[in-house]
Amino acid sequence: MKCESCNKKHATVHLTEIVGTVKKERHLCEDCAQGINQQLAKIPSPTEILTSLINQVAPEISEMSKIVCPVCGLSYLEFRSHGRLGCPMDYTIFRKGLVPLLEKMHGSTQHVGKVPSRAGKELIKKNELMQLRNELNKAVEKEDYEKAAELRDRIYEVSGDTDED
Amino acid sequence: MKFQVTPMKISDLADNTGEWLRGTGAESDIVISSRIRLARNVARFPFLSRANVKQKRELEEVVRNKIKEAEITSDLRYINLADIDPVDRLFLVERHLISREHAGGEGERGVAFGKSETVSLMVNEEDHLRIQVIRSGFELKEAWKTIDEVDNKLEKRLNYAYSSRFGYLTACPTNVGTGMRASVMMHLPALGMTHHIEKVFNAVMKLGLVVRGLYGEGTQVSGDLYQISNQFTLGKSEVEIIEIIEGVIPRITSYERMARKALISENREQLEDRIWRSYGMLKVARIISSEEIMHLLSQVRMGVNLGIINDIEMKTLNELFILTLPGHLQKLEGRELTSQQRNIIRAAYVRKRLEMI
Repeated sequence: MKCESCNKKHATVHLTEIVGTVKKERHLCEDCAQGINQQLAKIPSPTEILTSLINQVAPEISEMSKIVCPVCGLSYLEFRSHGRLGCPMDYTIFRKGLVPLLEKMHGSTQHVGKVPSRAGKELIKKNELMQLRNELNKAVEKEDYEKAAELRDRIYEVSGDTDED
Repeated sequence: MKFQVTPMKISDLADNTGEWLRGTGAESDIVISSRIRLARNVARFPFLSRANVKQKRELEEVVRNKIKEAEITSDLRYINLADIDPVDRLFLVERHLISREHAGGEGERGVAFGKSETVSLMVNEEDHLRIQVIRSGFELKEAWKTIDEVDNKLEKRLNYAYSSRFGYLTACPTNVGTGMRASVMMHLPALGMTHHIEKVFNAVMKLGLVVRGLYGEGTQVSGDLYQISNQFTLGKSEVEIIEIIEGVIPRITSYERMARKALISENREQLEDRIWRSYGMLKVARIISSEEIMHLLSQVRMGVNLGIINDIEMKTLNELFILTLPGHLQKLEGRELTSQQRNIIRAAYVRKRLEMI
């Protein structure tokens, strides 16, 4: 059988190609098959497909994959595969990757609860302001402008500044 | 102040239970208990999955000593979990004093609790410290008040890992922020029998809450006991989270009461028959599996709530849910038992407790 591509040499490579539901058989010589092979090589490998999938699902992973915590030695990839952080510093080191994760888990990325007294008055003030701002947003959303004005005044009062931000 | 560091005799506890099973407090016919736990870590130490043996030992010592100094209750005792048998650890899990993960963990770790078993402090669990308060009935606010005070005492002595952005930093990001899990244990047999329980799950999930079995995450539901708790821990204050749970519980209790009424009005005789048969079984059976007993106790508990059965106290029933568990039976007997041996001893124990031998 002659090669169906060059029609000169003897066809020694037999390929079966399936496009959709149509099955197509090709008979090629070694040289022509080589050319096809190079074309095939351009098709992404499973690893490449997986990487692009990960990028779609969790875009932060490829960007963060090389980051390792200098304190506890945990890598971002290890964290993502086990779900546990290695030390408190990881929250700072992996912040970029963690923020979208926390948003997904908790619907928020800002603590508004208890503040340890050691953390000091500044923190307490900061948190109170954060909570007031949340409430202000809610009030504005609900078009409760009377409440919003009250909250605004309270924010000025707590921050001790009329233009806090 | 007394602070027993050497292990007390765990078998001393085997014949009674903590105060949270008294069956008192608001809505206690349906709400068995209210529980809150806080996850805390010590700054400048790695979380436990990255801590080496030396660091774990150091952490255990530091946290244990600070708990001792904090004088949380006058009768606090401490048990080093590495020193006791697996059966003893199972026993503490069954009493809700430690978690399953804590029992199955490795290295230096322990638990402190008082005689009433209301407060328990787990050292080197998933986080360096987990504080827990359990109260009988629907009393989340009271539980919060207690745990907040305990936490305040400890934070004066321990430098917690904390950030203004993310709150209390925890080993698992699902706990970060408040570090708080608040849960309410409910007995919902009628919603189960009338197949309405799924509706409760869906409504609860929409509020960002989750439903779990008797022993928390990943455990099976048995005895119609469900734990309803918050999933999110960040972005809302402790009191806000508690209020969300508090808002939904009365709706579930009234739904359960409606389902009970419906069962009575549809076929009173059949319901009574089911309840009396379960009671009868507890009084006469010679072999009862752990699965079966949960079902029987659940039916009888509902019978007592509905006034069908009058000669058994709620406290006794609540306690039997715990006292007939495998770890408790083995502590009571003082030896390891096979499953078949436990089933025989369980039946005998229940007959004795119901004084109908």
